[in-house]
Amino acid sequence: MIHLLSAAVHQITPEGIIDRYPNSYNHFVLPFVIGITFILIYLLIGLIRILYHLSGEDRIKLLKSLFNPKTAWKNIKDIFCDCLLHTKIWKRKPLLGYMHSAIAFGWFLLIVVGHIEVWLFAPRHLSGLTEGSLYYPIFYRFFIWINPAHETLRGSLFFFIMDFLLLYVLSGIGLAMFKRVRSIALGMRHTTKPSLADRVALYCLWLIFPLRLLAEGFTADLSGGGFLTRPLNWVFRAFFGNELNFLPTWWAYSIVLGLFFAAMPFSRYMHILTEPLLILFRNAGLKVRHPRKGFAEAEIYACSSCGLCLDACPMNVQKKNLKYSSVYFMRFLRRHNNKKTREIADKCLMCGKCYALCPVGVNSPAIRRAIRETRNNKIDCDYSYLDSYAEKCSENPKSTGKILYFAGCMSHLTPRIIKSVETILKASGQDYEFMDRNEGICCGRPLMLAGRTDAARKTIEANSKIIKDSGCTTLLLSCPICLKVFKEEYALKGIQVIHYTQFVDKLIKEGKLKVSKSSSAIVYHDPCELGRGCGIYEEPRNVLKAVAELKKASKERDESICCGYSLGTLTLDEKDKAKIAESSVTSLMAENPEQIVTACPLCYRAIRSKAEVPVKDFAEIVCENLENNDKN
Amino acid sequence: MKNNILVIGGGPAGLEASAVLSRMGYNVILAEKEKRLGGHLAKWDRLFPDQTPAKEVLDGLLDGIKDVKCFTETDVNSINLLDRSFNAMLSNGITILADAVLLASGFDMFKAEKKEEYGYGIYEGVMTNADMEQAFREGKTFSPAPKAIGFVHCVGSRDEKAGNPACSKVCCATAVKQAIEAKELYPDANVYCFYMDLRMFGRHYEDLYLRAQKSGIRFIRGRVSEVSETAEGRLLIKAEDTLSSRPVKVTLDRLVLMAGMRPSEAGHKVGRQLNLSVEEDGFFSARDGFLSLQKSKLPGLFYAGACTGPKTLPDTLHEARSAAMEIDRYIKENFRK
Repeated sequence: MIHLLSAAVHQITPEGIIDRYPNSYNHFVLPFVIGITFILIYLLIGLIRILYHLSGEDRIKLLKSLFNPKTAWKNIKDIFCDCLLHTKIWKRKPLLGYMHSAIAFGWFLLIVVGHIEVWLFAPRHLSGLTEGSLYYPIFYRFFIWINPAHETLRGSLFFFIMDFLLLYVLSGIGLAMFKRVRSIALGMRHTTKPSLADRVALYCLWLIFPLRLLAEGFTADLSGGGFLTRPLNWVFRAFFGNELNFLPTWWAYSIVLGLFFAAMPFSRYMHILTEPLLILFRNAGLKVRHPRKGFAEAEIYACSSCGLCLDACPMNVQKKNLKYSSVYFMRFLRRHNNKKTREIADKCLMCGKCYALCPVGVNSPAIRRAIRETRNNKIDCDYSYLDSYAEKCSENPKSTGKILYFAGCMSHLTPRIIKSVETILKASGQDYEFMDRNEGICCGRPLMLAGRTDAARKTIEANSKIIKDSGCTTLLLSCPICLKVFKEEYALKGIQVIHYTQFVDKLIKEGKLKVSKSSSAIVYHDPCELGRGCGIYEEPRNVLKAVAELKKASKERDESICCGYSLGTLTLDEKDKAKIAESSVTSLMAENPEQIVTACPLCYRAIRSKAEVPVKDFAEIVCENLENNDKN
Repeated sequence: MKNNILVIGGGPAGLEASAVLSRMGYNVILAEKEKRLGGHLAKWDRLFPDQTPAKEVLDGLLDGIKDVKCFTETDVNSINLLDRSFNAMLSNGITILADAVLLASGFDMFKAEKKEEYGYGIYEGVMTNADMEQAFREGKTFSPAPKAIGFVHCVGSRDEKAGNPACSKVCCATAVKQAIEAKELYPDANVYCFYMDLRMFGRHYEDLYLRAQKSGIRFIRGRVSEVSETAEGRLLIKAEDTLSSRPVKVTLDRLVLMAGMRPSEAGHKVGRQLNLSVEEDGFFSARDGFLSLQKSKLPGLFYAGACTGPKTLPDTLHEARSAAMEIDRYIKENFRK
C-alpha cells in the first residue's frame, strides 16, 4: 500500500530503469540457459520424430485441421482449458483442480506478464539472443535498478501483479507438498510412485518458486517489488545488513530451473510440453496406429503420471493389481519394457474408465488394443463358412422398412433378455425380424478387443451383407458390446443402429409403449460399453424413472465400476474378476435399492452372481411394468 | 451317565452315524431342518449303479435310529463351545449340552437358474436331476411322450465361472442312470447325454455306461452352449461335438440339467458360529486329508458326509461309521478317566 501511494506521487516522472550490468549478463544464468537450450533441442527432435512416424495420411489430416477455423478454435480452447486451467480436474475434485491450475496457469502468467514487463520497460532485451532474450525476462529483477524516486504507477502495478501471481503459484506448490503427505485430503486414494527423474524434477519444481521469492526478495530494494518481496527485503536487510548476499540465491534459482528442464524429458513433467501436441492430434481426428510410435508416442509423453487412473481402475480393489493401471502402463511403454506392457495390455478389462477420467485424455485402451494387435497369433482360422451363411440368410424374404433385431451371442446366453425384448416389440406393435434367432455371426467386437482386427473384419463384412440385404431401416441391439462395434466399425448407411434402451425411451416418448410406475427402489448399473463406450447415460434413466424409483450408485455414469466380467480382458483370472464384481455391487448398493437393473447381458450375469438383491435386465423391468391394455 | 452327542443333519450321514452311536450306548440327539429325515436320499427314486430303490436304503437307515431323539423341522439357532462341551440351542426351544457334535450338514444342489443360458426357470421343458427323480418317484410321465430328451452333465460343476471348479462326483453316474430310466420309460425317444468326460470311477459304473450305450443312448462329448425355444415351443440346444469338432444343434422336448453339489447354507450357519474353517471350494476343511478325515480343528466336533466335499452315498455311509468310531474314542479319552 505504501509504495502504491508513493508511486502515485511520482507517477509523472519518467521511469528510471537502469541496467545494473552493462552487458546484462552474469554467470549465474548459465545453468538456466543450458537447461532451457537442452529442452528446446530435445523438443524439436521429439516433434520431428513423432511427425515422421505419423502416416502420410495422418500428417495431411493434421495440417488441414490446423487451418480449419473450427478445429483451430477448438485447439485454442482445449489447450487453454486442459493444459492451463485444468477444468477437467476442477469438475471432479475442486481442490486438486486448484492445485494444478495454480501451478500451471500461475506459472504461465508469470512468464507472460514477465515478458510484457520487459517489453514495456526494457524492450531492447527481447530483441535477440545477444541481448539475453533467452534469460533476461526470467531474471529481469536481477538486472535492473529502479530509482525509488522514479517509480511509476504502471511499474508498481506490475510489481503487484507479479507478486500476486507468485503467491498464487506458491499456494499451489504448498498444496502439492501437502498432497505428498496426505493425498486423500485432495481426493486421491492412491498416488503414483514417482521414478527417480520424477523425484528430481518434483523437488526442483517445489524449490523454483520459493527460491524465486527469496531471490527477488533480496533484490527488491534495487529492482522494486510488491507486497511479498518488499517486506521480505526489509526483513533480510534487518538480518544481514547489506545487499551482497543475494547472488547465491539467484544462482540457486537458476540451478533449480536448469535442473528442472534437464530432468524434464525423463520425468512426468514432459506432459506440460507434450499435452498441447496431443490436443492438436486428437482434434485432427488421428487414431493410434502403432503401439509406441507417432500418435502413441505423443500420448506416452503427454501422460502426467498424476495417478487419477489408479483410483479409477476397477482393478484397484486389490492392491496387488494396482500395477496394471494406465499410469504404470504408460511408464513401461515409455521405457520400452515390452514384457510388462504386454502383460498389462492383456490384463486390462478395457472398461475405459481411466480414459474417461484422464485429465489429459490419454487413450490408453487404444494403445492396449494396438499392442494386442501385434501379438503373434498363429491360429489360422477358416472363415469361409461366413459367406455361405450370409448367402443362406439373404434368401430370407426381404422386408423393407422393418426393424431388424440382432440379439448377439451374449443375449443368447441370457434368454430372459431376448424374451423381454420380443415382448416389448410386440406390445408396441412393431414390425420386426429376428436376425439371429437360430443362427448368428459374432458382431466382431470381442475379436477387435482381442486385437484380431482382420478376423473381426470378416465377421463384420458378413453381418453387413445380411443387414443391408434385409432392407431394414433400424437395427435394434440388446447388447452394448455389439452396439459399440456396429456404430464404429460397420458402414451401414441409411440404417439407424439403436440400443434397446434408446429404443424403449423413444417408444415411450412417442406414446407407442405405455408403462406404469411401481414403488420399487432400483439402481441402474452403467455398462462400460454403453456408457463410456457409446455415451448413453440418459435414455435408460429416462425409462427407469418412469417404471420405478431410481436410486443412485456411489459411482455411476462415466465413473461406473466395471462388472469385472468384461470381454476386454485376456488374462485376468476368475478370482480377480469376482472381486471387481463385488466392488461394483457395493457401489450399486449405496442407497440400499431393492433391485439392480442393467442393460448388458454380461453385466447382468456378473452382477447377478454377486448381488444379494434381485438383478433385472432393463427390458425385463420394462416388461414387468407394461400397462395391461398394451400387453397383447 | 450316558454322554450326549448332537448330530446336526438328518441325511444318510447323520442317520447312519446316529444309529452306530446309539448302538454304542450314547444318548444321541439328531436335529434335522426339514420335515422328513433322509436328506436328498428321501427325494430320490433309484440309486446308481444298480437302480436300488432309494426308499429301501432309507428304510434301512431309519431302522437303526429307534433310540435316537430326532427333532425334525429344527434348526440349530446357536451353538458354542463351553469348557469341554457344546451348548446348542435348537429352534424348538430345547437346549442341549453335548460332549461331542457331529456335523453332517451335507450339500445343497447347485441352483441351476444361475446358468441362465440353459433356461432353467425360463423354458418349461428344462428341469434338474432332482426334478427328474421326483417325477420318477411320483410315477409322473410327461404327456405327450417326449420325442427327444437331453442330459447336460456338469451343470455348476467343473465350471469356474459358476463358482465351482470341482467335480461333483455323482452326476455322471446319475445322468447315465436317469438316461437309461428315461429310455425305459419312453422307448421311442432319442436320448442324448452332453458330457465333458465320463467319470465312471466306481464298481459297476462302467457296466452302467455300457448298458446305456447298448440301449441306444447317444453320448455327445461337448458342453451345451445355449438353449432357446423354437416356434413350436420345443427346445433348441446348441452344443459342440468335440470329437468331430463340429457345432451341433439338437431339438429336444426335455432337457435335464445335472446340477452339482454346493456346500450347505445351513451347515455354513453352524460353521460360522463355531469359526470352523472352510476351504476355497466352500466345503469344511478336515484336520488333515488322510488320518483325521472326520475331525475338525475343534476338539469334540466331527464331520461326516458331503459337508467336507462331494461324495457318493457309500462313501458317505463309510464316513458316518468312522465318525462314530472317532467320537467314541474321543469320549472315552476325555470323559471317562
